[in-house]
Amino acid sequence: MTPTYYLVLAAALFTIGAVGVLVRRNAIVVFMCVELMLNAANLTLVTFSRINGTLDGQIMSFFVMVVAAAEVVIGLAIIMSIYRSRRSASVDDANLLKY
Amino acid sequence: MDTVFAPATGALSWMWLLIALPLAGATVLLLLGRRADRWGHLLGTATVGAAFVLGLVFFLQLSGLPDDARSATLDLFTFVESGSLNISAGLLFDPLSAVFVLLITGVGFLIHVYAIGYMSHDEGRRRFFAFFNLFVAAMLLLVLGDNYVMMFVGWEGVGVASYLLISFWFNRPSAATAGKKAFLANRVGDAGFLIAIFLMFASFGSTDFQTVFNGTAANNLASGTVLAIGLFLLLGACGKSGQFPLQTWLPDAMEGPTPVSALIHAATMVTAGVYLIARSHPIFSANETAQLVVVSIGALTLLIGCVIGCAKDDIKRVLAYSTVSQIGYMFLAVGLGGAAYALGIIHLLAHGFFKAGLFLGAGSVMHGMNDQVDIRRFGGLWKYMKSTWFTFLLGYLAIIGLPPLSGFFTKDPIILAAFNREGWQGWVFGGAALLGAGLTAFYMTRLFILTFHGPKRWTDDIEHPHESPAIMTIPLWILAVGSVAAGGLMSTSVVNWLTPVFGHTEHHEEKMSHWTATGLTMALVVLGVVIAFLLFRRGTALAEQPARTHIVRAARQNLYADRFNELVLELPGRLLTRALVWVDNRGVDGVVNGLAAAVGGGSARLRRSQTGFVRSYALSILSGAVVVVAALLVVTFG
Amino acid sequence: MTTMVSADTLDISFPEVDYLALAPLLIVFGAACVGILLEAFLPRTRRYSAQLVLSVVGLVAALVTIVMNVGEDRPAFAMSDGSRVDAIVIDGPGLFLMGAIVAMGVIAVLLIAERRVSAGGAFVAHAAVAADSKADAAQARHPGATEVFPLTMFAIGGMMLFCVAGDLLTMFIALEAFSLPLYLLCGLARRRRLLSQEAAMKYFLLGAFASAFFIYGVALLYGYAGSVQLVDINAAIAASGNSQVLLLSGLAMLAVGLLFKAAAVPFHVWTPDVYTGAPTPVTALMAACTKVAAIGGLLRVFNVAFGNSGNPGGPSLAWDWRPILIAIAIATMVIGAILAVTQTDIKRLLAYSSIANAGYLLVGVIALGQALGATLFYLVAYGFTVLAAFAVVTLVRDSQGEATHLSRWAGLAKRSPRFAVIFTLLMLAFAGIPLTSGFAAKFAVFSSALEAGQTSLVIVGVLSSVILAFPYLKVVVLLWLSQPVEDAPAVSMPGFMTGTAVTVGVVFTVLLGLAPQVLLNIVDGAGQFLAK
Repeated sequence: MTPTYYLVLAAALFTIGAVGVLVRRNAIVVFMCVELMLNAANLTLVTFSRINGTLDGQIMSFFVMVVAAAEVVIGLAIIMSIYRSRRSASVDDANLLKY
Repeated sequence: MDTVFAPATGALSWMWLLIALPLAGATVLLLLGRRADRWGHLLGTATVGAAFVLGLVFFLQLSGLPDDARSATLDLFTFVESGSLNISAGLLFDPLSAVFVLLITGVGFLIHVYAIGYMSHDEGRRRFFAFFNLFVAAMLLLVLGDNYVMMFVGWEGVGVASYLLISFWFNRPSAATAGKKAFLANRVGDAGFLIAIFLMFASFGSTDFQTVFNGTAANNLASGTVLAIGLFLLLGACGKSGQFPLQTWLPDAMEGPTPVSALIHAATMVTAGVYLIARSHPIFSANETAQLVVVSIGALTLLIGCVIGCAKDDIKRVLAYSTVSQIGYMFLAVGLGGAAYALGIIHLLAHGFFKAGLFLGAGSVMHGMNDQVDIRRFGGLWKYMKSTWFTFLLGYLAIIGLPPLSGFFTKDPIILAAFNREGWQGWVFGGAALLGAGLTAFYMTRLFILTFHGPKRWTDDIEHPHESPAIMTIPLWILAVGSVAAGGLMSTSVVNWLTPVFGHTEHHEEKMSHWTATGLTMALVVLGVVIAFLLFRRGTALAEQPARTHIVRAARQNLYADRFNELVLELPGRLLTRALVWVDNRGVDGVVNGLAAAVGGGSARLRRSQTGFVRSYALSILSGAVVVVAALLVVTFG
Repeated sequence: MTTMVSADTLDISFPEVDYLALAPLLIVFGAACVGILLEAFLPRTRRYSAQLVLSVVGLVAALVTIVMNVGEDRPAFAMSDGSRVDAIVIDGPGLFLMGAIVAMGVIAVLLIAERRVSAGGAFVAHAAVAADSKADAAQARHPGATEVFPLTMFAIGGMMLFCVAGDLLTMFIALEAFSLPLYLLCGLARRRRLLSQEAAMKYFLLGAFASAFFIYGVALLYGYAGSVQLVDINAAIAASGNSQVLLLSGLAMLAVGLLFKAAAVPFHVWTPDVYTGAPTPVTALMAACTKVAAIGGLLRVFNVAFGNSGNPGGPSLAWDWRPILIAIAIATMVIGAILAVTQTDIKRLLAYSSIANAGYLLVGVIALGQALGATLFYLVAYGFTVLAAFAVVTLVRDSQGEATHLSRWAGLAKRSPRFAVIFTLLMLAFAGIPLTSGFAAKFAVFSSALEAGQTSLVIVGVLSSVILAFPYLKVVVLLWLSQPVEDAPAVSMPGFMTGTAVTVGVVFTVLLGLAPQVLLNIVDGAGQFLAK
């Protein structure tokens, strides 16, 4: 299997994630779609690391994972607090600020 | 003559302190607010005093230099530097600025001291001193700037300080109106000054004196441009100095506290126009027509001032019109050009002394008479306020030009120089100057006699007028000594001192000898005094005198100057405005309103796209990203 | 990052660390970490003053070390074998950007710490309590949370790192390091908590979305160049051997992430909502410091990696990306200005003005090296003015807290002339009236863009600033000429901290307008990015 397939897979995952952000209403699911996009980036990094023959890409993917973990912490906190106030995690309900 | 200024050395490199000191005073006083109420006036006076001492030091250093090197420039910072546009902020201390610095800080200091007493009962005394310091700083900037832009900054600064001080008692409607009038008249003049500055930029690419003067001297400009620059500068000068046709604001400006009238509207600010023309002498010397206009305006204004001065009953307004007329003399002198530049300046200095003294004297009279200003309500005051009376007498004798007081030494040479102009002009301008001297003697005598002599015509509420405290009379005495001595001491020394600025001029053939001119002047002056004495020694009726002749009626109406302005400036202005408004409403506004409506409508519609939904925002971002990626690929491979 | 894969041994050599170069970052991040410890170990009553002192002292110390670094351009790490490690690059523009962020950060921290203007400050005491619940009413009396200080310090540190990051991974870490605290800070408002939480959620989801684009772009560029160091990417472009598709898609994705933070159209959508919902001191921090960081990052990426400053005369990618960025800049300037026209809320109006200003800054980015100094100048001029403006906004209050709706501002000049004068000055500066910093900044950017040949951009820029002047002047007219509303809000007397913020902002606005040359000389002296 050529590494190109991994790149295509990653691009597909990235697109699925991006579309997911647009179509899903639940804030948690929207956020998971973002995580999917980050992991697509990870897969791309690792694949290129393999293609280029350097370790850098793999090391970077660790960094990205750590950042993603930090984002989860912050994101869940924010989503939790808004859920407590509104009793709803739908991103469409939070629509006071507009125009 | 090539104008070259030497860079500042030694103590002179500290000359920015001259401006910084009073400016710091004003800042501190304004920022601290009420906290500085108790000592604010002392600080204000001290900064000006310190500036005077500094001015003296710089003056001494400058006089130690050889004749042809008597100038010092100091670059402060570059204001704007962008391509060909280069405005730098720099100062210039040369003999001309030096005399102005000494006049402004010296007389300014005395008037500050006087104001401590005069304003002692006023709640706003600290505010007053803050504005006063601001004025001094701006005025010093005006005379120290080394280019026209710096000068303009100072010019506007003194304007601002002047409006603030004219309307100092802003709860009096007349004071507020007077402030507004001064503002408008000055605006007309300032517009002229600004246009002149733009013309300089366009012609020389710079406004610093050195470039402009050398450019004019190099004579590669069309004479029309030089004339235009000169005339627009003159318009600016007329606005600031209360010259025809913008003279009407100055008498109204007397609504301000008297020290303001003395410092700003007699001794310093109103002479800024004279400074502007004297400073720009290479421009005016390069164009005969410009000079002729200056001389004509000077002659016309000096007569207007005298005639109206005869008909006014308000002590400060008489003095104000006398200021208008004396500045007319200065304009006449600087317009004559050549050697007369220096004559204009020494008359300015002498006038600074005696007119400041007269105003402070008037203030002292008002102080003792419950702020009465009508001279028909004075009389016999000499017994009650000896110091004021005597110092006022000296100022009065100085202004009418009695030898050997200062007016004699400074006014007579101007009259003589006017006579010695070539051809018919000499007779016209000399005659006007001579007539003015006679009229000055008349109205000043009237003022003096009605105020201090003759029967008492006081209002009932005054029982015993009192002399002012020493803090007010001491400045009066110092200024009186100045009025007496200044002329004799200055007439030759200052002319020599100013030679490096204005250059030597060869004497040409004289139409009238020195002695004939003096004799004629003296005769007219004595005539004026005698007529006034005979008419007014018994006082005057309290009621308005019926105006028997047209000239009296006209003079009471300020020679219809306000109506003239209304007719010549305001009416066409109003018609033009109306026409423009019509065009504007129909044409320009149509387009602009249409555009504005389009923008507003577009805005209202676009706003709707900001729906507040996270998912539509994400769509915007995602489609943006797709477009960017696609566009980049298309640009490269398409 | 240059470790090679070898068959059996990993030969890892440690770089030499230039601690002076790292000192500003170490101090700020260190202060943030100590702040966390203070939260854990100090009693509640003592935390506020300790945190405030720690933050201000930390920032001032960082500023001092930034100044100490001036003059020598170098990477902060050096390998003994001479190969390049560009994770952090200390150069003139980078130092200037860090200095600007720290200086504005001090002001923003003062605004965040202000507790005199409204009881307890702008921040909620316990963010976990549900909004509008009983417990929420009970906590109204408690002073605000002090966690905001370490959060702010992390944000400021991240922004500083973002401006000096020499490789894309460090840049990504920095991006997250300043974004994550900002997401939280946005949600911590004491009043109108629903709006605040909504702003935080929107900012967080969209921000995470945009950073996913950023890291995917990094991945693609890594595939193209085999390295994520900006200079290596530049060298790879010069060698031009690999797939252009990878390069261009990577560049585009990367740009999306950066333009999102800079609030350029069409990636600006979050800005108005987040600026309006966030606590005003946090909005001030975002408008001033985040703007500097985002534009600073854009400048570095486009100058070092995708410009040809490293190899003048060599092939440049600028021909490819310039048209796109020009289109974005034009859209940003025009749409930002047009949308500002009909705004009725002062914070929203300033948000759209911030978008339009991002457009003017992009003009400077597009002109590359020639306009670098002018762009830096613009960032500082705009930053201080916008800080003062938001500081003033915090002062106009009624019983509901800040009265941000413009109809409530009508005729305020009659009641508080001093406030009206200050706000008028700031509005005039935004509108770019001469003798204010706004004019000097616009003049500098537009004239250098003209010199760089971007005539059409400058024309659009000037037109856009004409449109944008209208809403600003509308506010001025409203302040001075309208009749006050019945229960008009009062303008609180600023406490020491807000007073300082307003004063500093106004002083900079005036000084940079009167004597712009002083700062222009400094930005000229900062030179160009280190790109060799």
